Amino acid sequence: MFLGFKITVNCLVCVCRYLLCEVCMSERSMLRLLEEKDIFQAVKTAVTTAHGQYGLALFNIGSAVRYVNAYTGVVMLRFRKAHYQLLWSALPFITSIWKQGQRVPCFFNCIHVGGTIRTCQKFLIRYSRQQLFRMLPHCKTEGKVISSIIILRIIQIALTNHL
Amino acid sequence: MEKKPTPYERVVCKNTSLYHYMKINLVFDSRNKSLSAEQFKQLIITGLKDLYGEVGAAFPFDVLTFNQTELSAILRVYHSSLVKLWSAITLIGSYESVSCAFRVTQVSPFLLALSGNSREMEVF
Repeated sequence: MFLGFKITVNCLVCVCRYLLCEVCMSERSMLRLLEEKDIFQAVKTAVTTAHGQYGLALFNIGSAVRYVNAYTGVVMLRFRKAHYQLLWSALPFITSIWKQGQRVPCFFNCIHVGGTIRTCQKFLIRYSRQQLFRMLPHCKTEGKVISSIIILRIIQIALTNHL
Repeated sequence: MEKKPTPYERVVCKNTSLYHYMKINLVFDSRNKSLSAEQFKQLIITGLKDLYGEVGAAFPFDVLTFNQTELSAILRVYHSSLVKLWSAITLIGSYESVSCAFRVTQVSPFLLALSGNSREMEVF
């Protein structure tokens, strides 16, 4: 006898938009200490200032900081698709991040909007490659030149694996 | 001479009006409180700023008339920001620590419609 059973799963489809932003800080040393909670607080404050209680309520639904790279200053924010444009419009109003009781001036530059983390990752690999090509002529020591060439090779391998 | 019958014509205008006009009334808990037209507008802007932030406080609206004794006014607002203004003035609860409330009497896309309503009409 074959016992067949049905499993019904209610899928909550979370349609999100992932915003890739580059944090430009005046002090490079403070960039290394960047943490997810600092970015979250800065974005929350900016949304409250720009869009009030309505914006804060929209931000509290499904918004998060998904990825922070302290070396390059790349941050990935996740918003709901329904209201990501309103929250995106508040990002240029971020002027500083509070870090260790200090106010560090910074600027958020949005470089890409993707529907999934994978598309953002693909874009980030291409973007990092372009940035390395731009930084290569400015390398002063031979060690820096060699390490950047190695990183370029790694990025090339990663790109061919994806495609 | 026979008159030609005038043909029946029906004109339907589908464009919404650019502005909306609101007749509102400010009611205080205590009767002693009064404010000027500028303070009245500032109160509404404060309510917009609380709910919709800096972007909300920048919505253009005009106080066309203001009656200081009755604390009633007619506001003019763009069609797109009517809902936001109405929701903001609904949520204003106090002014200078005195409880107050906004009562919206009439809303219309035409200013002429605010000149009278059937509630206050007196038929002789």
